[in-house]
Amino acid sequence: MNNLVVLSGSAHPKLTQQIGEKLGIPVGKVTLSKFSNQETNVEIHQSIRENDVYIVQSGCGQVNDNLIELIIMIGACRTASARRVICVCPFFPYSRNREPEDLSFDEPKETEANKKAKANTTVMDLSQLPEPPKNQTGYKHWTASSGTLIANMITAAGADQIITLDLHDPQFQGFFDIPVDNLTSQPLIAKYIRDNIPDYKDAIIVSPDAGGAKRATALSEILNTSIGLIHKDRKNKDNMQLVGNVKDKTCILFDDIVDTANTITKAAKLLHEQGAKRIYAVAPHAILSGDALTLLNESFIDEVIVGNTIPQEEHVEKCPKIKVLDFASMFAEVIRRIHNGESVSFLYGDSHNWEY
Amino acid sequence: MDAPSNSIKIFAGNAHMGLAKLIARRLNLDLAKAAVLKYTNNETSVTIGESVRDEDVYIIQPGCGDINDNLMELLIMIHACKTASARRITAVIPCFFYARQDKKDKSRAPISAKLIANMLTVAGANHVITMDLHASQIQGFFNIPVDNLYAEPSTLKYIRECIPDYKEGKVVIVSPDAGGAKRATSIADRLDLEFALIHKERKKANFVSRMVLVGDVKGKTAVLVDDMADTCGTLGKAAQTLVENGATKVYAIVTHGILSGKACEVINNSALTQVVVTNTIPHEDKKKLCPKIATIDVSPTLAEAIRRTHNGESVSYLFHNVPA
Repeated sequence: MNNLVVLSGSAHPKLTQQIGEKLGIPVGKVTLSKFSNQETNVEIHQSIRENDVYIVQSGCGQVNDNLIELIIMIGACRTASARRVICVCPFFPYSRNREPEDLSFDEPKETEANKKAKANTTVMDLSQLPEPPKNQTGYKHWTASSGTLIANMITAAGADQIITLDLHDPQFQGFFDIPVDNLTSQPLIAKYIRDNIPDYKDAIIVSPDAGGAKRATALSEILNTSIGLIHKDRKNKDNMQLVGNVKDKTCILFDDIVDTANTITKAAKLLHEQGAKRIYAVAPHAILSGDALTLLNESFIDEVIVGNTIPQEEHVEKCPKIKVLDFASMFAEVIRRIHNGESVSFLYGDSHNWEY
Repeated sequence: MDAPSNSIKIFAGNAHMGLAKLIARRLNLDLAKAAVLKYTNNETSVTIGESVRDEDVYIIQPGCGDINDNLMELLIMIHACKTASARRITAVIPCFFYARQDKKDKSRAPISAKLIANMLTVAGANHVITMDLHASQIQGFFNIPVDNLYAEPSTLKYIRECIPDYKEGKVVIVSPDAGGAKRATSIADRLDLEFALIHKERKKANFVSRMVLVGDVKGKTAVLVDDMADTCGTLGKAAQTLVENGATKVYAIVTHGILSGKACEVINNSALTQVVVTNTIPHEDKKKLCPKIATIDVSPTLAEAIRRTHNGESVSYLFHNVPA
């Protein structure tokens, strides 16, 4: 393929390798490292003058480091006279709108233990719906939603186009002035379900929260199955309601992101209590931070089906229930078509022979 | 009709809370309430705890420690204040991020300092206050006003008060490399002292270069001045060269004490008597490892700059004077 270069950031080099193999080109030579003072250093070892450069960087792991690395790579390609710079972000960072938490603003004591604790542990668990803040002054906290900022940063760095997968919030595409290709993994997931879940026609697709109802409905329309919904009672957090009948059925919990796995494991518990026969969990993006792997191992979920937008090797070792779908073919096909100026609409139809 | 007066709100990220508190105390204010933390998946979370509508916001975050995390914290805080309708947002970055990557010195090198300037503008900063930029031309990367303050008055004060032999005139100001000559001569002129320069002589390509002293330091106290001390390799070798050429004692005064990697070991094993850094970058933990490190407090300069910017007064006083 002429004038096409695929570069990898540090977030997910394996996926880039697979994309390169499917495209039949070697991944571009880049050295990514850090200076002694932790600043990121990017060195590109081949000429990219007048080439279309695709930079593959997912928003996982050390998210801030990877984001700055992406921006510096875009800047480097621009100043090296690349013709077009396209960001391929399988999992887009900072795309979730966070609920405000009830926080204490007292100054923490500045101790070494505190600094280390800040680095390793976390404070927020977003899968829980929070209580409204209890302060009396009438001022509510202002939690930053960084989506617009990230969009502006990537555009300011000089990207010409973004390719991403299953954005948490589809309206996010509107934050950008440059074209965004928001791919969907649903046809590929539907094919996997048809091939591997024996009684899928009789299964029920369940959304583990109200926000994902639209997503679950879309998948069930492709597969022609019925749907269910799990709804958290705001007043009583432990009280979850199931809408739909799951007795003696195979249930497929479908969400876009599995992060701490709190939502999905609680949902599985409820389904089990209501008599579900077998429970699958499907999500294209599996962050699995904190205690997620332990929770999944101990849960009532029989199989966890995830995409490889985020590296999964370590997760698979610790949790044998995880099965990883390969999205590299999808990305490679999209890159090929964009490079040749062909339509990408094949993605939304049913006729393509998906490889996972 | 003039706009109604607003107040100063000082926010601090996690990079240097200590400096922010000193600055706030000097301005007789409390630090504004904000919680800057991380989510479980390592994304940064910023929650502003008080109203900033129509206020003059200053966010203090030097480029040190976990630089990319601190940079994202700064950008997200600026953006949060912008969407919360602050009147003006000033980023106070005592040590600028990626300041050394400011030119394309080899093929396909990124100009990261320019990218950071773009990011700050895009996030919504209206003004930037920084100190001793590695190259003052970096101000040109911005379309918004940049105040590049100088640590020079504080450095001069330290030399006058704390370097022995100063009063007898037995002090020589030395630049550890050719690039810093201008900085060192400026200090030497103001103190009416002599000046020397250390120059890396490259005999052949790929050969270990040796350091050559240009000037005379025999029997005098040498004071090395530079803007940054990172791994301290240059400072250590420079001190060695000065001692070999007859200097009695060697001091180093550096604005930004990054002190990464094996810096403390290098300083401890070197011929340096003392390394003086400003508190633009936190270094309390380094002081425990290396007793030769001393600190110059620049929070009065930064606090005065904030006060004068807020009141619309001139900041030029700070280019030649240390606030009392």
